[in-house]
Amino acid sequence: MAKKKKTAEQKEYAKIEQKHELKRPVLRNCIVAFLVGGTICMIGQAVTYFYIYFFNFTEQTASNPTVATMIFFSMLLTGFGIYDHLGQFSGAGSAVPVTGFGNSVISAAIEHRTEGFVLGVGANMFKLAGTVILFGVFSAFVVALIKTILVQWVGI
Amino acid sequence: MKEKKYQGIQKAFVCFLFLLVLSACQAQNDTSETRTALLKTTNPSAVTTENKAEEEQLVAKIKQKVLSMKEIYDVAVIKGEKEILVAYKVRHLQRFHMKKIEKNLQEKLEKAYPDENFSVSSDYKIFLEAVRLQEKSEHGKVTRDEMEEQLGKIFKLSKEKT
Amino acid sequence: MLIGNQSWLFQNKPVIISTGVTGGPFEREGRLADDFDVLHEDLWMGEDSYEKAHRLLIEEAIQVALEKGSIQKNQIQFMILGDLINQITPSSFAARTIGIPYFGIFGACSTSMEGLALAAFILDKGGANNIVTGAASHNATAERQFRYPTEYGGQKPPTAQWTVTGAGFAIVSKQNNSNQNEPKVTTATIGKVVDMGLSDPFNMGGAMAPAAVDTIAAHFKDTGRDPSYYDLIVTGDLGKIGRATALDLFHQQGLNIMEDKFQDCGLMIYKEDQPIQAGASGPASSATVIYGHLIKQLKQGKYKKILCVATGALLSPMTVQQKESIPCIAHAVSIEI
Repeated sequence: MAKKKKTAEQKEYAKIEQKHELKRPVLRNCIVAFLVGGTICMIGQAVTYFYIYFFNFTEQTASNPTVATMIFFSMLLTGFGIYDHLGQFSGAGSAVPVTGFGNSVISAAIEHRTEGFVLGVGANMFKLAGTVILFGVFSAFVVALIKTILVQWVGI
Repeated sequence: MKEKKYQGIQKAFVCFLFLLVLSACQAQNDTSETRTALLKTTNPSAVTTENKAEEEQLVAKIKQKVLSMKEIYDVAVIKGEKEILVAYKVRHLQRFHMKKIEKNLQEKLEKAYPDENFSVSSDYKIFLEAVRLQEKSEHGKVTRDEMEEQLGKIFKLSKEKT
Repeated sequence: MLIGNQSWLFQNKPVIISTGVTGGPFEREGRLADDFDVLHEDLWMGEDSYEKAHRLLIEEAIQVALEKGSIQKNQIQFMILGDLINQITPSSFAARTIGIPYFGIFGACSTSMEGLALAAFILDKGGANNIVTGAASHNATAERQFRYPTEYGGQKPPTAQWTVTGAGFAIVSKQNNSNQNEPKVTTATIGKVVDMGLSDPFNMGGAMAPAAVDTIAAHFKDTGRDPSYYDLIVTGDLGKIGRATALDLFHQQGLNIMEDKFQDCGLMIYKEDQPIQAGASGPASSATVIYGHLIKQLKQGKYKKILCVATGALLSPMTVQQKESIPCIAHAVSIEI
């Protein structure tokens, strides 16, 4: 799988092509991602306060129902076909919060509905989010391991 | 297609309204003080379950002591039979040092009042419940036993982890 | 007849007697909506899967072409078609319904002209009297196969292209002298695979431009024609980046192609304000624009001679993930009136 070395001709072409390639508007993307991501998090904060005020949740425990609610919102938006437009507009702003995770699961589930519930929805639901779960769990394991070693042996 | 999209937004909006209505049904008979307890400085007066002058002086002193920490700007103190609840709010930029502040406060209080048991919490929920209880007791709506029971519930809540 | 290394000259000049073009909701709002015969209001088209909708597009396009050409199914010997989906099942399934002897071909987005070139060759040599040929693609099926689920909120870079939902089919027939005002297929140049080492699947136009230039240059060399011979040279789906790059490459090679005579189907089909990033793509991009829009314009006399170059990126999702570069191909067919 090692990347093949480009020939001189290919390098030459890459140069010509680069000249015409449309660049991603990075600054604009950053600003929009900040604003949209911030808005989503603000809604999340409002939901947290909602659970603190009206139900028996503390700041610590309210995060669970909040996450569930935010995923529920993103499920509605995905199902009604709004979230993909939001994603194109805001990029990381809508992908990084938990709503983006929800969207990746739900969109895959909708997509593979035609292949049936078991082999379609069940098997493909986590095809995008699966990597997030796997490497999330794995990195959590590594961090916990390091911490345990430090605490146990080094005694910090 | 365009109309379909539009319908989608409408449906989402209806769902949102539905949720709003649901939440409105839950509204409690809070005073305006409690309603904004999480957003503004409430500065509730310290209360005890016992109506004794010395007890009241004690909690007032504790309150002053807590407020003397510059990271803390708002505190609710409620003294129960066995334990004293100290719920406080930390200045926003100091929230990074939350753990340290909690430790310092606990040590400080235990040093100053070695005979008392303290339960400190920076949780908004605990603060909110403390303010609710304090208001009730101020309006004389609760008996001593009811207050103890409420306080017990708050202690239990503050110990919940997930 | 073979001329040069890789071109055919069709001495008997097969004619395109009728065309059928279908499209989806996005094309309905596009610039060329009037040139479609059937336009659907949503991507499902009343079917219960996108793949079935894809098949429906093909069936309808062929049906329309048959009706417009007032020709019966049994008068048609072969059908040559293809699409993007895994084992070109939409084409094969449509062939099952239509019931005409069938060649399934895969040339990614170059399928339309590959099919036309082959059809013209068979007709020229007397291998058939009538052949129906074309290509189709469906936005949602292609997105799902090559990219992400339809509703996934990922951000596409400005180099990405939008897969056309549609099908374009033509009935090509042996020369009959009854009607002179019909577009004839005169020459075809079969391209070779060109790989310039680009590997970004979100920038197909940039990867395909060298293939298009290679084929066009070969076409002029083989036929001995000059770029000024054609009123219009049209590429399939190079998009903004590919078109600009191709013009640069022509310049470098000393081919004198005017900018206004070098168009791209991927830039013609949609309006500026539609969110298509760098342009349209997919086999249907060239098929619908050439069979729908350009054939009409040829008949109206706006153009006399056009060279249609359909470009294809021969990648699969797996080769992309294995970090292979994208090999590309282009086939050119000249249509004259």
